[in-house]
Amino acid sequence: MYYFALLLGPETTEEPDASTQAEIMSAYENFHANYGTSIRAGDALVPSATGARITGGPDAPVVTDGPFAEAAEVAGGYYVFEAENLDDALTIAAAIPACQNGAVEVWPMVEYMPPSQPLDNNWIALLLEPVDSVLAPGTPEWNEIAAQHGAFAAAVGDRANGGAPLHLPSTATTVRVRDGKVVLTDGPYIEGAEVANGYHILNVADRDEAIKVASMIPATTIELRQLMGVSGL
Amino acid sequence: MTNLDGVFRREWGSAVAALARWSGDLTIAEDAVQEAFAEALRAWPRDGIPENPAAWIVTVARNRALDRLRRESVRPGKELAAVYDDITARTDRQGVPHRIRDDELRMMFTCAHPALDPQSQLALTLRLISGLTVSEIARALLQSEPAVGQRITRAKNKVRHANIPLRVPPPELLPQRTPHVLACIYSVFTEGYWSTAGPSAIRDELCDEAIRLAGEVCSLMPDERDGQALAALMLLHDSRRHTRVDADGALVPLDEQDRDRWDRGRITRGLDRLRNAAGATGPYLPQAVIAALHATASRWEDTDWDGICLAYDRLIAITHSPVARANRALALGFRDGFDAGLAAIDDVAADPRMARSNTVASIRADLHRRAGRYVEAQRWYLEAVDQAGSDPARQFLRRRLVECGGQRV
Repeated sequence: MYYFALLLGPETTEEPDASTQAEIMSAYENFHANYGTSIRAGDALVPSATGARITGGPDAPVVTDGPFAEAAEVAGGYYVFEAENLDDALTIAAAIPACQNGAVEVWPMVEYMPPSQPLDNNWIALLLEPVDSVLAPGTPEWNEIAAQHGAFAAAVGDRANGGAPLHLPSTATTVRVRDGKVVLTDGPYIEGAEVANGYHILNVADRDEAIKVASMIPATTIELRQLMGVSGL
Repeated sequence: MTNLDGVFRREWGSAVAALARWSGDLTIAEDAVQEAFAEALRAWPRDGIPENPAAWIVTVARNRALDRLRRESVRPGKELAAVYDDITARTDRQGVPHRIRDDELRMMFTCAHPALDPQSQLALTLRLISGLTVSEIARALLQSEPAVGQRITRAKNKVRHANIPLRVPPPELLPQRTPHVLACIYSVFTEGYWSTAGPSAIRDELCDEAIRLAGEVCSLMPDERDGQALAALMLLHDSRRHTRVDADGALVPLDEQDRDRWDRGRITRGLDRLRNAAGATGPYLPQAVIAALHATASRWEDTDWDGICLAYDRLIAITHSPVARANRALALGFRDGFDAGLAAIDDVAADPRMARSNTVASIRADLHRRAGRYVEAQRWYLEAVDQAGSDPARQFLRRRLVECGGQRV
């Protein structure tokens, strides 16, 4: 089955120096070499300063520009794994370098729609919902929203480039590595009042178009972030 | 039908475990076994208890599960359809499930999976393995029934949707996973033995169940030394179950317990387990050694305080626990004199983790009392009574306060 891994960590305001950057790159290359057969997708996110949060729904979207200063842990990347069970998914997740000083949330995916086009100039729209009102997959209410997402994808055509609904927050597991030991916590890392419950990858020309397309997504809040296109995955 | 309850308790865990392996789903397993027991309640008074109640329960439960899956799979788009295909395919090959005890070990690893919150692990274990009802669990853990029910439902949903495997993990994962199973079993025991809050019948049941589960781990994973140490620890503590609280419900300290009433059978079994535990690296071995040194002293005056202090040193090196350091200070007081103990407890008192516990105050009170400084002792007993966590402990501390010449509070 498929698992979505959301990489979280403190966002540094300054660019790391060249040697630190090279170190990080090689840690990730190493991770890709070891677990490449299970990784279906993934990328790093451009710092949140270029991102946006959209609230208010498709009829009256309100756009707030990044960075999102209130958050100590900011999404810095994502992966999609194919793994037989949660044990395997957690083993892979614990090997992600981000676990060393940040955290990785591992979410079971309801279904996975892989990208249909190359991932060269893409944005990720993380769908956020209030913790207490996330709908359970399979319920009539959830099916209705899922149909709206289908309609959104049909309306924007090629600009929707895959995505996935996620299972309930209570099915997620947060992975950290501290002092060389894997530390698991039940549930996502919750800082604000909202949690992820799905994402779309958007294939768009620029930030303006990304905001325009993301504003059409039926979700309480959309965190829109540019993908770096660095992973080569 | 007086002994149906006994059958229920004995067969519940293994039946749920067998159905879970067979169906691959905890909810289906639990519901089916529940229905089978309801059916037994109707059929057995009429037809008599079957020769093999376990097989009867598992067979009826399997048929109920099949009925349900068949019913739900005819509706399109139901995920249970896939489970049904899986079950029918496996049933054709294997028939009625067996290897019940392995199934139970598998369930222990699933219920105590580290991706589940420890409180959820405990509730899930008590429900699916031990067969306590939600209301019994709520009473034992001093939580509300809806909260426990929701916790269990969430945990089962996570097992299903995040695909937590129903299995004993492969060898490379065992070193990280077994400690969670042992910790979960130990929390079943501590809820029964130390909490002293819920109804006593349920507390006794938790102690017995924890000892049974540890026994299963010992026989199915005989090389797991920490499991042996845990079993030893619980048996040795539990040998004092009937002497540690008096007729009025007050805690009785070790030096006042009637040692002739300690359960010799449990002590012997505990010491056997302790011998098998040599080489264990976890926190249970030094605690079991301490319990064994108390259990084997024929009089309080004969207690081997030197051995107990050494065991506390090992425990502190493993857990860095301030509670262990506080108890070591008390043991030091018996070995090296009360003032040495008081000096050692001063070092622990500053630890912020002890701020909300009355352990430091109780130990100071006891050491001053034994040294004959009753005014000092009164002061600390008063503080300890204020922060006491349970009624039996509070009653005991009040009694001591009066013995030291203090006013009844």
